[in-house]
Amino acid sequence: MKIGFIGLGAMGRPMAGHLQKAGHQLFVWARRPESVGDLAATRCATPAELGRCCDVVFTVVTSSADVEGLALGPDGLIEGMAPGSVLIDCSTIAPDSAREIAARLGEKSIAMLDAPVSGGEQGAIDATLAIMVGGEAAVLERVRPLLDCLGQRIVHIGPNGAGQVAKACNQMIMVAAIQAAAEAMRLAAAAGVDCARVQQALAGGSAASRVLDVMGERMVKRDFSAGIEARLHHKDFGLVLEAARKKGVFMPLTAAVGQQLNALMAQGWGRDDTSSLLRVLEGV
Amino acid sequence: MKIGFIGLGIMGRAMALNLIKGGHTVSVWARRAESMQPLLDAGAKAASSASDAAQGNELVISMVADAPDVAEVMRAVAAAAEPGLIAIDMSTIAPAAARRIGEELAAAGIDFLDAPVSGGEVGAIAGTLSIMVGGSEAAFAKARPAFECMGKNIVYVGASGAGQVTKAANQIVTGMGVLAVAEAFAFAAKNGVDRSKVREALLGGFAYSKILENHGQRMLDRNFKPGFKSWMHEKDLNIVMQTAHELGLCLPGSAATAQMFNAMVGSGMGEEDSIAVLKLLERLSGQE
Repeated sequence: MKIGFIGLGAMGRPMAGHLQKAGHQLFVWARRPESVGDLAATRCATPAELGRCCDVVFTVVTSSADVEGLALGPDGLIEGMAPGSVLIDCSTIAPDSAREIAARLGEKSIAMLDAPVSGGEQGAIDATLAIMVGGEAAVLERVRPLLDCLGQRIVHIGPNGAGQVAKACNQMIMVAAIQAAAEAMRLAAAAGVDCARVQQALAGGSAASRVLDVMGERMVKRDFSAGIEARLHHKDFGLVLEAARKKGVFMPLTAAVGQQLNALMAQGWGRDDTSSLLRVLEGV
Repeated sequence: MKIGFIGLGIMGRAMALNLIKGGHTVSVWARRAESMQPLLDAGAKAASSASDAAQGNELVISMVADAPDVAEVMRAVAAAAEPGLIAIDMSTIAPAAARRIGEELAAAGIDFLDAPVSGGEVGAIAGTLSIMVGGSEAAFAKARPAFECMGKNIVYVGASGAGQVTKAANQIVTGMGVLAVAEAFAFAAKNGVDRSKVREALLGGFAYSKILENHGQRMLDRNFKPGFKSWMHEKDLNIVMQTAHELGLCLPGSAATAQMFNAMVGSGMGEEDSIAVLKLLERLSGQE
């Protein structure tokens, strides 16, 4: 199959590689051409041109505005993609944006799935991502073999936007868990207890979690280099709290964690790992 | 002065009336034509559109709900404006939005002031509003006679957007202030202590505030009629939280307070006064 790929960052690059390894022909467009690097793919001059070549296009970029620009902007995908082709957006964006983009593409009979992922860079490399999909079930079934190249748990959540709602829920739980782990580490250290042993002990009990394993270990080792850049979680919390506001949903914990992320950004750790929330606590 | 006034809700109506009482020549426009009638009865001229409200006037003032409304109104004003017009927005909107509108108007040769108010309906009727102003100081000096008809504490804060920054700061203090009084009352009640006595005692000490005095009394009376509607305070705190997010600013108290107001809107109390946050606290602690 001819597959377009836009967004060759930490997540996108290994994902594109898996699709290529599965025998698909890869077309790419990059805002910065040098980011294509040694990837053996056909380069396109614009998203529209890429859209013209491909049956399915993946986007893995940062913000709602990025996806809107790529899909609907000048020389955007909408100008090139054929009726019946599919845009799969794996970015994390606002559910409302995902719905609007899908509706606009739908006017030209171009299908769209919002398919945000969880599992981080390692999950992308190992092809073990969780993929939460919004859009028509029949469209998902058509492209499921492609998603099977990228992840292990592919769940159809509901219509367009539903995948992004699920991702928002994922981010709330994950970052709150990082904050909880950071506070636990902080308390252990303040009480003069060995954090490594606390983390080791907790991993066997009811508090065990992937966050405590991965982020807890980073905190113990004081390795704050990015796994996931904290600025992306900060961005996601803006989306989550905006969604809560639109629905009038009470989210006291998420709001409190959001402020810790604001402090993290203010102290210049946005490009470090979100386990830097521990450093915010230590600075108080 | 010759003044156009756009937006005649609870606040705008009272403010425009005070301009007429102050001897200014006022033309009015509102989206709902029926809201213009009380002003026409008081001697205002009817404008046929936002553009018309600007035409031939020295000042044009808007008092509307949110940033998109202000932007729309001011675009219409810019289309009809003559050189030397001063446009003033007294609504509460995001500082960044005010700066953007200011830039757009500057490009059309119009001075723009952001001049949000505090003091509620009571202050608007009495002409005792606090007015916090951002924009050019020269334009502020020219507009001052109009401000003096509507308010008492009139402060020029600084460049474009500074008035809205001040108003956002005001909403932080009043939002947390209302919640603080409500929590103190919930605390007293759960302990079986008479809240009215608590209020009376606190009024003499460092916890004294206008909010304890006025809003506190209304909480005791369980008078939840607006006043200042919860959904509007929620909207204003959202401006605070959005701005904090963009700037990387940690505001834990405001965030917690914003969630309380968010929950009020979500549970159907949006049209009640912001002091209804007391009812939300009581619900959370089984004090209903």
